[in-house]
Amino acid sequence: MGLGAYIAVSAALFALGVVAIVVRRNILYVLFGIEMILNAANINFVAFNRFNGDGLDGRMFAIFVIILAAAEAAVALAIVLNVYHLFNTTKPAEVDLLRE
Amino acid sequence: MDAYIEPLKALAPELLLTAAALGALVLDLLMRGRDSRFVGYFTLVSLAIVAIILMNRIGDEPTAAFGMVVVDNFGTFFKLFTVASLAVVTIFVLSDRNESHHHIGEYYFLLLGAAIGIFFMVSTNHLLLLMLGLELLSLASYALAGFHKGERKSAEAAMKYVVFGGLSAGVMLYGISLLYGLTGTLDLVEMAKSTGEAMPAGLAGQLTTSAVPVALAMVLVLAGFAYKMSVVPFHFWTPDVYEGAPTPVTTFLAVASKAAGVAALLRFLGALFLGPDVQSVVAEYGASVGQLLAILAAVTMTLGNLSAMRQTSLKRLLAYSSIAHAGYILIGVATMTGAGFEAAMFYMAAYYFMNLGAFGFVLYFEGTLGSDSIEALKGYGFKAPLISIAMVTFLVSLTGLPPTIGFYGKYLLFKEGLDAGMYWLVGVAALNSVVSLFYYFRIAKMLFLKEPASGSVPRQPLFAGLLAVLCVLTIYFGLLPDAIQEFVRNCLLI
Repeated sequence: MGLGAYIAVSAALFALGVVAIVVRRNILYVLFGIEMILNAANINFVAFNRFNGDGLDGRMFAIFVIILAAAEAAVALAIVLNVYHLFNTTKPAEVDLLRE
Repeated sequence: MDAYIEPLKALAPELLLTAAALGALVLDLLMRGRDSRFVGYFTLVSLAIVAIILMNRIGDEPTAAFGMVVVDNFGTFFKLFTVASLAVVTIFVLSDRNESHHHIGEYYFLLLGAAIGIFFMVSTNHLLLLMLGLELLSLASYALAGFHKGERKSAEAAMKYVVFGGLSAGVMLYGISLLYGLTGTLDLVEMAKSTGEAMPAGLAGQLTTSAVPVALAMVLVLAGFAYKMSVVPFHFWTPDVYEGAPTPVTTFLAVASKAAGVAALLRFLGALFLGPDVQSVVAEYGASVGQLLAILAAVTMTLGNLSAMRQTSLKRLLAYSSIAHAGYILIGVATMTGAGFEAAMFYMAAYYFMNLGAFGFVLYFEGTLGSDSIEALKGYGFKAPLISIAMVTFLVSLTGLPPTIGFYGKYLLFKEGLDAGMYWLVGVAALNSVVSLFYYFRIAKMLFLKEPASGSVPRQPLFAGLLAVLCVLTIYFGLLPDAIQEFVRNCLLI
């Protein structure tokens, strides 16, 4: 399989992530969408490293991104849990005290 | 052995901050929920020590540590900026009347953690470290925005921030992965240098065949910076988060976090397009990135100023004002010249005094009246004359009128914009300044031209003193900007 196949998968994953963030009405799906975008970037890093890099830069970056994603998920879920306690919902549309 | 010790010396401020952050956490545990103010004083002392180390570094030759960290005057400038704003934010936390001051040691831990993120973000040409610094800052900021766990507004602010932040970070990361694929390196200097003869094509080689992939990667990466600086179209989080977060946190986001975004953007553009070994085709491409930034600047300041006009909450108004100011700063960046970058750095210094002052006023007034609506300001100038006069000074400076530092900062930005031939942009910016006069003046009018409501205001002499100092400095550096200009000149990137 060539580099193109990997890039196609990652671009599709990126697009799906963005779509999930835009259309889903539940905050948890939005967080899934963000994870998908991060993993799309990861596929890119590893694939580019495999096909045209000599060092390990890309693979190393991918490992750091996995750590980042875990840390972000931890903070985001804690915040969402707190929102759920206070608003009794996880739908962003119903959490709207702050507006013009 | 020395190969490890020497770079560690270069990282002394970062290591000290890390120790201070952990120290703050442990100290709070040892105090067992008694007054957390002690942790705040500890934070102030550690910041002072870091500031002294940084001050001694100004003027040193640039060095590198571990192949990724660049220790130069540009980085030191923004590190000092961060430390100085964090010190003021810490004093804000200590004087916050809405804060319980029990069990809040994590507040200081998170602030210091965010500062460590900024420190790495502003001192690297390597995209991995840039991303890690940015994320460390973001993660700490999300938690800080939601720090008042029982408050619904605070929780909502944190949720919105984490969604927008996560999305922007993901988009930026994807952009970085594309840049890596195009160039085979994560180091910006290497990227700009490569001639494009080897495989992968490198930035220069790619630009000669087709600019589309580079443009795509560039737009995605710039989105990450735009989010940190709250530049349109990545500004949506700003008003909500600024309004919902605790006011000291808002101050931190408006001043230190935004400055970090500006610094990282300057370094990114500087290394990629304006360095000494940059391929000519890459440098030419930099000019078109500048054009894109100029358009963003115009849209950002116009949207910020027009939206600020119809706000009823003072914090929200200042949020839109901070969006508008991101637009002004972008003028200097968009020129893509050393002098333009210098003007942007000077404006950040000006921004420090006037915005810390303005948010300090919000905190004072919120603590005494329990509201941040502009209506509630009615007649406040007669009840608390000293800080109200200070606030008017900050507003004059934010508008960009003499004799304040905001005027000189804007003058420099406009001058560089004109020198770079961006007449239309400077025209838009000048019109925007006039628009901003309306809503800034509305606050001043509320303070002094309306009959006071009954009741008196509790005094906080130390806090008022801090605001008075910021006010005096705003005018002092407005009349004599040479000291700051000299300082900025010592810290230039290019």
